[in-house]
Amino acid sequence: MSAPSPQRMPRLEARGVARDFPGGAGVHGIDLAVVPGKVHALVGLNGAGKTTLMRLLLGMLRPDSGTVHLDGVEIADAPQAMWSRVGQLVEHPLAYPELDVQSNLAVAARLHGLSRIRAAVVVDGVIAEFDLARYAGVRASRLSLGNRQRVGLAAALQHDPALIVLDEPTNALDPAGVILLREALLRRAADGAGVLVSSHHLDEVARVADQITVINDGRVVGALDPGGVDLERAFFAVVHADDVEQSVA
Amino acid sequence: MSALFGTAIAVEVRKAAASRVMSSISAILIGGLAVLTFGILVGAASGDEQIVAKLGPLAGAGGWTGLVGIVAQITSAGGLLAFGVALSWMFGREFADATVSGLFALPIRRSTIAIAKLVVYLAWALAVAAVLTMVVAIIGIALGYGITDAAGVGNLARVPVLVVLTALIAVPAAWAATIGRGLLPGIAASVGIVVLAQVMAVIGVGAWVPFVAPALWAIAPDSVPVAALLVVPSVPLLFGALSALAWHRLQLDR
Repeated sequence: MSAPSPQRMPRLEARGVARDFPGGAGVHGIDLAVVPGKVHALVGLNGAGKTTLMRLLLGMLRPDSGTVHLDGVEIADAPQAMWSRVGQLVEHPLAYPELDVQSNLAVAARLHGLSRIRAAVVVDGVIAEFDLARYAGVRASRLSLGNRQRVGLAAALQHDPALIVLDEPTNALDPAGVILLREALLRRAADGAGVLVSSHHLDEVARVADQITVINDGRVVGALDPGGVDLERAFFAVVHADDVEQSVA
Repeated sequence: MSALFGTAIAVEVRKAAASRVMSSISAILIGGLAVLTFGILVGAASGDEQIVAKLGPLAGAGGWTGLVGIVAQITSAGGLLAFGVALSWMFGREFADATVSGLFALPIRRSTIAIAKLVVYLAWALAVAAVLTMVVAIIGIALGYGITDAAGVGNLARVPVLVVLTALIAVPAAWAATIGRGLLPGIAASVGIVVLAQVMAVIGVGAWVPFVAPALWAIAPDSVPVAALLVVPSVPLLFGALSALAWHRLQLDR
């Protein structure tokens, strides 16, 4: 079998990834792919395993079994430099309370490997993109939760990564922030980035996702059609069917 | 030095400089030590029996010897705690502020970030040592101790050495803050080292124990061979390596 072309090779791929926690929590053998130019959404109830899966995909947790590949390279073997093409926000924004917004973004840009000069350019750009100019000189400790989330999203996206992983990115965002994020993600996907987002907000997911995967009890239990008419009903039908199947088994 | 290591150091310098934590610790350590030293000297000069009793042989030493002896006693306990708190903050704050998840999936290794933190810490400790020595020199000169006194200068030179050695033996706090995922385990480790060092120094054992040698040397320089002080860097080397390893193997599983 020939190797997939660079255009079709998943930016990120999980093969049979499992990590069990005491009490049965965790993820139990998940296959998943994030391909260039597409937005892949994970939906599931609280505790379904979305955040655990994202942590496994980003090396924040080591799997008990299975593998994660970044641009075709298993992450355990991936050169450190490959991570410069990744932008992520899982749970908490990278926003140091003692630094102002501009400094926080500069720090994040430098940590992603950008030179001081390049960092200054991208920071200016992302401050404009996320409408953060009026907060540029404000310490993160004085920002609202929503604005801190904006800073975290800007930090994850400013270096135009080829792979974007965002866990509940609309958390605490106001409607204007949600629209800014949506446009930022669609723009980057159109430029070829692979995007993985998790969300509870099915309406928002339907607006951005090309593919929706339903997670329940640490497993992939189905998919939803982003263009479907009643996404909420379809979601609960998939989850309920899985719960019934599990209770019978 | 690789470019990414330089970046990690620049980032840590920026965070430390912007925070009030490091500047507050510096001010409390240097200012507190100056005030305490001056107070003890005044108390001893006025014949306060309790202070004289606590100073022991130092009470009659006078001059640079007495001054440096008092500074050394304060530094070996208070300084160690201050350095431990600084390290606990530098490492534990990533967990307390929940910024640690942003330190994954980066082209810079987490172990490199941990080492950069230690480098910045040591540079800060050297600066503290220099300022503290100047403050002690000013106090001594203000009290009329001769600046041409060769023995006095020799005594004064013990201050920066003791400060740096004290900073070095506080490094386990970085490892404890990492393993314990927060500031408190690091601070607890610092308190533990202070107690260990002071108790063993008071009972006069452990000249060759790296945690004890600086405190013992501070109280009685002749009781600690120079070679024993040279063993002290084994503490930051061992616990620095353990900290870097812990950051390398870190998982967000708690």
